[in-house]
Amino acid sequence: MVKDLNKIKKENKKINAILQFNENFEKEYKESLKSNGKLKGKVIAVKANINVKGFNSNCASKVLENYKSPYDASVIKKIKDEGGVILGIANMDEFACGGSGETSAFGACQNPSAKGFIPGGSSSGSAASVAADFCDIALGSDTGGSIRNPASHCGVVGVKPTYSSVSRYGLIDLSMSLDQIGPLAKNVSDAALLLSVIQEKDEKDSISQNSKKINLKKIQEIPKNLKIGILDFEIQDKKIQELINEKIRKAAEKYNWKVQKIKINHIDLAIETYYPLVYVEFFSGTRRFDGRRYGKKIEDVAGSEVLRRIFGGSEITKAEYQGRYYNLALKTKKIIEEEFEKAFKKVDCIISPTVPRLPHKIGKKISVEEMYSYDALTIPSNLAGNCALSLPVGKINKIPVGMQIICDKFKDEKLLQIACSIEKL
Amino acid sequence: MSDFLWHKISEKEREEIKKQAKKIMDSFSKKLLSLGELKENFIERDKSEREEGENEKVGIDRKIMFENAPHKNKDFIIAEKKKW
Repeated sequence: MVKDLNKIKKENKKINAILQFNENFEKEYKESLKSNGKLKGKVIAVKANINVKGFNSNCASKVLENYKSPYDASVIKKIKDEGGVILGIANMDEFACGGSGETSAFGACQNPSAKGFIPGGSSSGSAASVAADFCDIALGSDTGGSIRNPASHCGVVGVKPTYSSVSRYGLIDLSMSLDQIGPLAKNVSDAALLLSVIQEKDEKDSISQNSKKINLKKIQEIPKNLKIGILDFEIQDKKIQELINEKIRKAAEKYNWKVQKIKINHIDLAIETYYPLVYVEFFSGTRRFDGRRYGKKIEDVAGSEVLRRIFGGSEITKAEYQGRYYNLALKTKKIIEEEFEKAFKKVDCIISPTVPRLPHKIGKKISVEEMYSYDALTIPSNLAGNCALSLPVGKINKIPVGMQIICDKFKDEKLLQIACSIEKL
Repeated sequence: MSDFLWHKISEKEREEIKKQAKKIMDSFSKKLLSLGELKENFIERDKSEREEGENEKVGIDRKIMFENAPHKNKDFIIAEKKKW
């Protein structure tokens, strides 16, 4: 771990993972080493949509270019209380609208593990700063794969906890019915450590619920009699699926786990279900960016993907539609959630590739639909509210590939236990 | 087809994005309609009231809050009239 801020700053000029550094970092790091907290000596980068008091939590947008956070998000307060040190504010796709790390108004974030290729997004800077060894752990947010997708492309671990198990108070939201804050780290143990600190009911987030506390010793034990479901979903890049299957085969053989294929009906409609929900909720949530209390009016300065979602959300919330599109998506979301519930009666976890394709080169022209398809396998867990993570399992053409493990709601400890076991192979 | 790198949006591009967003929503919803008649769903919670607990101080720094406002006068934010 590099702890020399000047070295990190120099390296960051090439990667653009951190938008603002903590100028008191070295002093705070020394203090942290004296602390008795669970995060003693742990260096943490924070996605730019999470409020850190005194920092420019700008969502990588010109809208909030000069905004200074007047308070700490609940997760930040917990990190500080446990002796964690904030390295700085991490780059991201503008307002979390994007899955490539290219839409930041302050320049695209580079992938330290695959030069020239996108790092994934929207928590691009969080994943890149972990991959580049700037920090031990990073905080990201995941609405449709925004933690797991960049974790996969950058070769790090990324966890989307169960919906409602981590407070979103202080998160600048993309879609409140789907958003979840979670950790990215070099290994499962560090990710679990941060999750064990931030996962708790918070009265400041009205949907927040209590969950079983993660036992960090227990996640190191190999689960017995495990039934793995391999997601029955055809992806175009067969090499990615082969890499995943090989890893599962090895784990099953070594740990005596049972493996079966599992089908989730209507999972092929996940993208079509997700975007109407996100467009509407994002449009609604962004009405506060009117340039009166802070920042600039969002429609005046935002980039193309942010505007697409605002215009789309504005269109389908018009009276003439009578909420048809949004309601339809909500009903389909429920069906997908029920399908997962049925599946988890048969298996303990479901495994798939995190991303169905390898990343493209930064700046390459692709269609909107093609961009949205990156999240085809991560979106379903957000719709169902499950916990899921991405674990690095190898490389194809020198580009990291992640395996997605999904568990039922509030089975986060089991999820981490399974990931730890596979990580040890 | 376009790249996703951030750039300033022209008026022409803005109109195209509007049309594109509507087209995407129409095509997505058309696919969802293929599922046929769907049942209504409601979430029933056992407990729907917040536990207020002790009055925790909201740690919002008023000085920073006012610094963020483009137009202010001592302890209030000024907004334009008749445009809300």
